[in-house]
Amino acid sequence: MTLAQPVILAEMPSLSKLYVNAAAQAARRRLLGTHDSAVLPAESHEVRGVRVGVENLTAYQHLIGETASDVLPAGFIHAIAFPLAMSVLNRDDFPLPLLGMIHLRNSVQQRSPLVFTDVLDMTARVENLRGHRSGTQVDVVAEVRPGGSGEVYWRGVSTYLSKGVFLPGIDKPTAVPPRADFQPPDPTALWHLGVDTGRAYAAVSGDFNPIHLSVLSAKALGMRRSIAHGMYLASRALADVGPARGDSFTWDVEFEAPVFLPSRVALEIATEHSGSGSWKHSRFVAWSPRSGRRHFSGTVAAL
Amino acid sequence: MSTDGQSTPAAEGSPRASVPATRRAVIVGANRIPFARSGGAYAKSSNQDMLTAALDGLIARFGLQDERIGQVAAGAVLKHSRDFNLTREAVLGSALSAETPVYDLQQACATGLETVVGLANKIKLGQIDSAIAGGVDSASDAPVVVSEGLREVVLDLHRAKTLPQRLQILARLRPKDLAPLAPGTAEPRTGLSMGEHQALTTAQWKIPREAQDELALNSHRNLAAAYESGFFDDLMTPYRGLTRDGNLRADTSLEKLASLKPVFGRNLGADATMTAGNSTPLTDGASTVLLASDEWADARDLPKLATVVDAEAAAVDFVHGKDGLLMAPVFAVPRLLARQNLTLADFDYFEIHEAFAATVLSTLAAWEDEDFGRTRMGLDGAFGSIDRSRLNVNGSSLAAGHPFAATGGRIVGTLAKMLHAKAASTGRPARGLVSVCAAGGQGVVAILESL
Repeated sequence: MTLAQPVILAEMPSLSKLYVNAAAQAARRRLLGTHDSAVLPAESHEVRGVRVGVENLTAYQHLIGETASDVLPAGFIHAIAFPLAMSVLNRDDFPLPLLGMIHLRNSVQQRSPLVFTDVLDMTARVENLRGHRSGTQVDVVAEVRPGGSGEVYWRGVSTYLSKGVFLPGIDKPTAVPPRADFQPPDPTALWHLGVDTGRAYAAVSGDFNPIHLSVLSAKALGMRRSIAHGMYLASRALADVGPARGDSFTWDVEFEAPVFLPSRVALEIATEHSGSGSWKHSRFVAWSPRSGRRHFSGTVAAL
Repeated sequence: MSTDGQSTPAAEGSPRASVPATRRAVIVGANRIPFARSGGAYAKSSNQDMLTAALDGLIARFGLQDERIGQVAAGAVLKHSRDFNLTREAVLGSALSAETPVYDLQQACATGLETVVGLANKIKLGQIDSAIAGGVDSASDAPVVVSEGLREVVLDLHRAKTLPQRLQILARLRPKDLAPLAPGTAEPRTGLSMGEHQALTTAQWKIPREAQDELALNSHRNLAAAYESGFFDDLMTPYRGLTRDGNLRADTSLEKLASLKPVFGRNLGADATMTAGNSTPLTDGASTVLLASDEWADARDLPKLATVVDAEAAAVDFVHGKDGLLMAPVFAVPRLLARQNLTLADFDYFEIHEAFAATVLSTLAAWEDEDFGRTRMGLDGAFGSIDRSRLNVNGSSLAAGHPFAATGGRIVGTLAKMLHAKAASTGRPARGLVSVCAAGGQGVVAILESL
C-alpha cells in the first residue's frame, strides 16, 4: 500500500546510465558501508506518454518468433517498462545493490491488448521485501495503461534475488522446500541459441547488461560465459505457445539454471483444454538436452 | 462420439451421393530420371535442368512434340527465388507447344502427388483434356541465402536516396553478416529436424530397430528386382550417366544395416534407432506423369494404365506434439476410404512413402491400435492392418531416394503401371493406395484403379 506521491519522470530513464550509476553506487557502498535499512522506498516512479518505435517492435517480434502484428507482445511491454523498473531499484534509498540481482520469477497479466500506436503511461514500484534461503528477494511491480486512462492493461511482477545480502529484521525461510526431481519429457521444440543470442536480444530490448553480451564482458562480472536474458527465453516460450493464448492471458515463469551461450535448449509445451474444447492453459518447461538440467518452467493461462 | 482427434465419417450415407458425376481422369504413363544421391551425378544440374530432362523423356515416349497440353503443374520444395516460374521455364525449354499453360505448386513432399490430384480434378471437371503433373528437387544445387544482416542492408541500400544514407547503411555491416546460410531441414516452429521429429514418433510407437532395418532391406531388394525385370524401362530416361537410382544398394543385408550407428534422436532422450540406412538420404531428381481424358488418350492411341479415383489431404497439430510430424496420412486414409466405401482389404497394392522406415511402421502401428482408432479417429476400434506383401512391392524412397517434390510422380507412375499389369494378368480390376507425408504436419493420399 503506497500513499506516497509518485515520482513522475520527464522521460524514460536510460538503462545504460542506470547501470553506470549502479556501478558507482556499488563502489560507494563498498567504501562507506551499507546503511542496513530494511525498508523499501514507498514512492512509485511514473512515466507518461511513452511511444513505441515500430521498427524496434518488428525487430523484437522477428527475433522472438512472434508474427509482426500491431499488438505489442507481453514480453515487449516488459522490455519497454524495464528501465523505469530499474530506476526504482537504482534509488539511493533502495536497500539492495542493483548489480548482481538474479531474476527468479516473472508474472505478467496481459488484461487487454495494447497496439503500437497506443501512447503508454507506466508506473513501477517495489514491494514485498522478504527473505530467501540464499539472500533477500523483492518484487518489482510495473503497470502499463493506455495514455490518460486509469485502467491497467498490462501488469508485471518481477521477483529478484540479492544473493548473499541479508538485511536486519528480515528472516530467511527456515524450511527449504525440496525440489522435485526433474525427468525431461519428450521435447516438442529444440532451440539452437548462438553465442550472439544475448547481443541480439539486447539490441531489441535495450538491456545491455554485460553478463549477456560476450564471454569477456560476462567474465568481467564473474560469470564463466555469457548467459541468455531470462526474458528472452520466457518470451520465446510465450511465442511458442502460439495463437491459442488469445489477447488476454497470464504468463508466469520461474527461472532455475541460467542458459550459458551458445547452447541448445529443449522445450516441452503441454496444453490443456476445458471440457468444451476451449484453451485453458499451456505449461512450458525447458531444459538442457545435454545435462537434463531444468532451465525454467512456467504457464500461460486464459485470463 | 467425440474424439480428441479427427473423426472419420461413417461409410454409409457418404456425401458422395450429393457430388455430381464427372468423367474419368486416366494416367497414360510416366517418366522420371534416375534419382541421384546429393552431390552425385546431378550435383551441377539445376531444378530446371532436371525437370526439363524428365519432361523431354515423357514427350519423346508419348509423341507429344508441339502438343498444346491442357496444363502442366510441377514444383520444387527447395526452390530458388529466381525460379518463380520453374515449370513454365521447363516447358518453354521442352518440345511441348509454347502455348501450354503452366502453374507451380509447393506442398512440401506432397507436391508431386498434389499436382496429380489437382490436374486430374480439372480433367474430371472437363476444364482440360490433358495434363502433365510433376516435381523436381535438388539437394545439391540448393539455394543458399545471405544472412538477415546482409539482406537487410542490401534492401535498405536499395531504398536509400542519398550518399550519406547509403554510407550509414553500409556501416551497419558486420563480418558475420557475410557468411551465407544453407537451407535447414528443421521445422520452423519447433527447431527439430524431420528426423528428430520422426525419432520422437518412433519412440512413441515403440518401433524396433530390427523392423526398420527389415523394411529398408525390402525396399532395396524390391527396387533391385524391379530393375532386373526391366520394370522401369518405360518409366525412366537416363540422365548424366545414371541409368539406375544412385542410392540403390542391391547387395545390402540386415547385417550391414544393423552395423550403422543411429543418427536421429540421440539427444532427445528417446531410444535412438534411426540410421542412415533406414532413413532416406538427400537426393536429386525429377518425375512427370501424363494424365488425360479417355477421349484425348484414345484420339492419340495412347495407353491408359489407371484412373485417379479420389484423394484426401490431412494435417496434424504436431507443434506441441499432439501427433507426430509425419502422421497426417494416418487420418487422411480412413477419411478417404470411408468416402469410397472401401476397407484396407480392398487394395491390391499400398504405396506408403518411406520418408523413414519408421514413418511407414508408425503409420501401420497407429492403424492397428484399438485405442487410437477409438479415441483419435472416432472408429469402433482399430482402423485395420494391411497385407505386408502388398506394400511397396517395387521398392520405395529408402532405396530409390527422395527428391522431395519428385516422389509423388515416381509413386504414381510406378503404381499405375503395376495396377495395369495386375489387372491384365488376373482379368479383374486392381486398386492401389498412395500415401505421402509432408513437412509441416501435412499429408496427401490417393486411390488409383487399373484400366
